[in-house]
Amino acid sequence: MKNRIMARKLLITIFAGLMMSACVDEEQFGNTAQGNIEALWRIIDEHYCFLDYKGEVFGLDWNEVHGRYATMAGAPLSHEQLREVLCSMLAELRDGHVNLYTAGDVGRYWAWKEDYPANLNDEIRDSYLGTDYRIAAGLRYRILRDNVGYISYTSFSSPIGEGNIAEALHYLRLCSGLIIDVRGNGGGQLDYEQRLASHFTNERIHVGYRSHKTGRGHSDFSVPVAEYLEPSTTVRWQKPVIVLTNRQCYSATNTFVRDMRCCPGVRTLGDNTGGGSGMPFTSELPNGWLVRFSACPQYDRKGQHIEFGIAPDIPCVMTDEDVAKGRDTLIELAVEILKSR
Amino acid sequence: MRYRIAILLMLMSAMPAVAQTEDSSARTHSLVLGAGSADQLDTYLSPRDYSGLRFTMLRETLRMTRMAGERISFQTLWQGDVSYSRNSAHTATDMGGHIGYNALWHYNWTPVRGLRLMAGGAVGGDAGFLYNSRGGNNPAQARLGLDVSASVMAVYRLRLWGTELGLRYQADMPFAGVMFSPQFGQSYYEIGEGYFDGNVCFTHPGNAFSLWQQFTLDIPIGRYAVLRTGYMCDIRQSHVNDIKMHDRSHSFIIGFVKHFRRIGKNERRTRGTIL
Repeated sequence: MKNRIMARKLLITIFAGLMMSACVDEEQFGNTAQGNIEALWRIIDEHYCFLDYKGEVFGLDWNEVHGRYATMAGAPLSHEQLREVLCSMLAELRDGHVNLYTAGDVGRYWAWKEDYPANLNDEIRDSYLGTDYRIAAGLRYRILRDNVGYISYTSFSSPIGEGNIAEALHYLRLCSGLIIDVRGNGGGQLDYEQRLASHFTNERIHVGYRSHKTGRGHSDFSVPVAEYLEPSTTVRWQKPVIVLTNRQCYSATNTFVRDMRCCPGVRTLGDNTGGGSGMPFTSELPNGWLVRFSACPQYDRKGQHIEFGIAPDIPCVMTDEDVAKGRDTLIELAVEILKSR
Repeated sequence: MRYRIAILLMLMSAMPAVAQTEDSSARTHSLVLGAGSADQLDTYLSPRDYSGLRFTMLRETLRMTRMAGERISFQTLWQGDVSYSRNSAHTATDMGGHIGYNALWHYNWTPVRGLRLMAGGAVGGDAGFLYNSRGGNNPAQARLGLDVSASVMAVYRLRLWGTELGLRYQADMPFAGVMFSPQFGQSYYEIGEGYFDGNVCFTHPGNAFSLWQQFTLDIPIGRYAVLRTGYMCDIRQSHVNDIKMHDRSHSFIIGFVKHFRRIGKNERRTRGTIL
């Protein structure tokens, strides 16, 4: 009898243990200053994809960051103070893809472009387009002096189709060369950058790698998978191309520049791109604020990070003298190079 | 207090209904609708718990087969549900949809008059999605799975106030299966381009403890109609590829049951038996 009671108790204990351990739950931090700081730190710690890389590049130590910011949670923080603390913690990552969205502001790190000369003056650039330029979806284009084609694409969030690109390239087909100006283009859809780049290769080319996190550890990554650029089945450009870049070329534009550099007859001119090679994911804090962060890294075809940008083939900066004359130094140099060819 | 004791005494003294013979010609169809709470978590979308509402529709058929001397019943369950939930700060919403199918076989025992015990297994599959209103490159999660479950059921028929009532409890628990899941930090963009990485995962109670239960009361109304009402508890969970998911709901359900008996090639609606 005693044994039976013992066996029954044991069975109940095992069943209760199974039921308790069977619950799949995630730790829920409270909606306090401490809870929000801990939640944000944890999100980045488990999901952000450049912690190891940035540790190597500029000594980022995310555990040390935790130590510094966790002490701030000891004092009562107002709504605004909490936002400042969290934004400051995120800025440690030095990543333009990392944002904190609150109802009244977007926390951001834009030093990758704000700390450098723009090498772009919109008014001067628009003066090259004039008023009778053509528009094909997100592309603005025309033939410049010396029979050089010019396409400006200011956002990869503006949709472009195969037909738009084919029409634009067909219109410019008699030009001696082509300038593609993506300065100021902060990114958008990877589909659009691939679609545009696919018109500048006749064969499938290896352009880089990508990977993703496979677990919560800083080094838990999948084996990088090669990325290829497939040639377009419509119009393909066969003449020299110069892509104009500046520090504002970010995210999908950074990938576009990476891809174009692999295409034959394509050179880049201007300043470094801004970078931003981690596809961003989103998450959220206990108080409901939205967090964006880099989650899936891309690499160039040598397997090197492009998070901090891509150097141009032909460095060039806008000179004050040219700006004063209403001349775009980068466009002028590109025209000279393409004209001489 | 007196009122409660009176109800208790009536239930205790209720005579089991006269046993009726269930043969392979008898079948039961039911359609119930449910509404209840939803508690949802998917760490691919957010680490926060979302809570809200779920609306369910459950279509069931149940019949005896000729197997094992007409002691094995066959049940099919179609379940569809939609859910709407919000985070605790009320700044984001999840919207979900799910459809599932289970085919179940139970061995039947009748240890005492009016009581039927059933135990068996099931094969099933389900598909669904959960969409988060604020996601960037991780806005939604797909659900796709196949599993084999263990299932138990108990049916008790009793006569109360001159009416034959049916009480039923059923529990199904998957013990092996496969499910789709992105990798921990893998985007659907990457999967869409054909890059797969451990996206089909083996599931078992250790990494995907799920449990579906319902407790119902069948009340005959009029000559043929039977009202079914009760409670449904649906717990779906998984922890694969380091992504945690739970979707738990508790619903009140109500619907109608129809009993048929096959006579020749035709099905005729009868007052039939309550399974």
